[in-house]
Amino acid sequence: MNILELIIENREVMKLFYGAAITLICLIIVLRTDKLFRLSFHEGIRYFRNAFFFYGLGFFFRYLFELLFPISFSFSAFLFEFFIVMAGFFLLYSLVWKTIEGSQKEVRSSLFNSRIFLFYFMALVITLLDYLWMTFLFMFASQILTFIFSSVISYSNYKNRSSRNTFSKFYFIAMFLTLIIWVLNAVASLLFHWHEGILINVYAVNFIIFLIFLWGVLEVTRRT
Amino acid sequence: MAKKRERLDVIRDILLAIRENRKIKPTRLLYASNLSPQMFKEYIDELLGKKFIVSEMDENEKKFFVLTKKGNDFLNEYKVIEKFVENFGL
Repeated sequence: MNILELIIENREVMKLFYGAAITLICLIIVLRTDKLFRLSFHEGIRYFRNAFFFYGLGFFFRYLFELLFPISFSFSAFLFEFFIVMAGFFLLYSLVWKTIEGSQKEVRSSLFNSRIFLFYFMALVITLLDYLWMTFLFMFASQILTFIFSSVISYSNYKNRSSRNTFSKFYFIAMFLTLIIWVLNAVASLLFHWHEGILINVYAVNFIIFLIFLWGVLEVTRRT
Repeated sequence: MAKKRERLDVIRDILLAIRENRKIKPTRLLYASNLSPQMFKEYIDELLGKKFIVSEMDENEKKFFVLTKKGNDFLNEYKVIEKFVENFGL
């Protein structure tokens, strides 16, 4: 029996570990950046943390909550999609907030303000459209677009980096891999009927992406 | 041309000026911060609101600013915050 068959035979256990691991990574990222945010009230750090807060919620509801407290698959998929779309928006916004908000210094709620309500609205519309049409097309389209922008911006940051900054290259790689993952997800869903071989590779790369984010956070915050 | 100071840099400069002087009068701090009076007031209000600094009176009823523990923590963590923001392009 090869590894692929072993994973496919134990898919439920693997999903549980996968969901738990990513939820844990997100939790660590949110907690490790808490002190930095509370000291600086930096909007970029705020939106970055929000992204991982929503990724954590998404993976928790999709892979853990559903298994521990059986709810309907469509409801957990709905929550998963909503949180994942929100997380993608927050990650992109953490890169562009300075251009949009300028030098405003007012401290707003991290999760409830007029700009964030636009994200909630768009995520809700995307999720509802997918739910009603029983597809993931809108999620894929929104996330592929989001990560095209994120990849371009993080590449530009990498090119304009100072010489001592080495992580920006890995951040760009993580963003670009995320874009590839969304494209692969869409291909697996639309052309290959969720082919398990493709999905396992998607899960594996996705896990590596989250590890890159975690490494980036721990590398900077290890002294705090 | 000199690079425009980011908000975090301005906060660091103000807090450093206070820490170096232990306590400092508003006028001296305004000069040290290199800000316009209006911007200076905005930053000072923000720092007072966040409890990074406190305003006290000396024996001659003159106002001065003192750094709090939270403000000192910010200065100690400033490099970490700066590196984090730079690494993630925030």
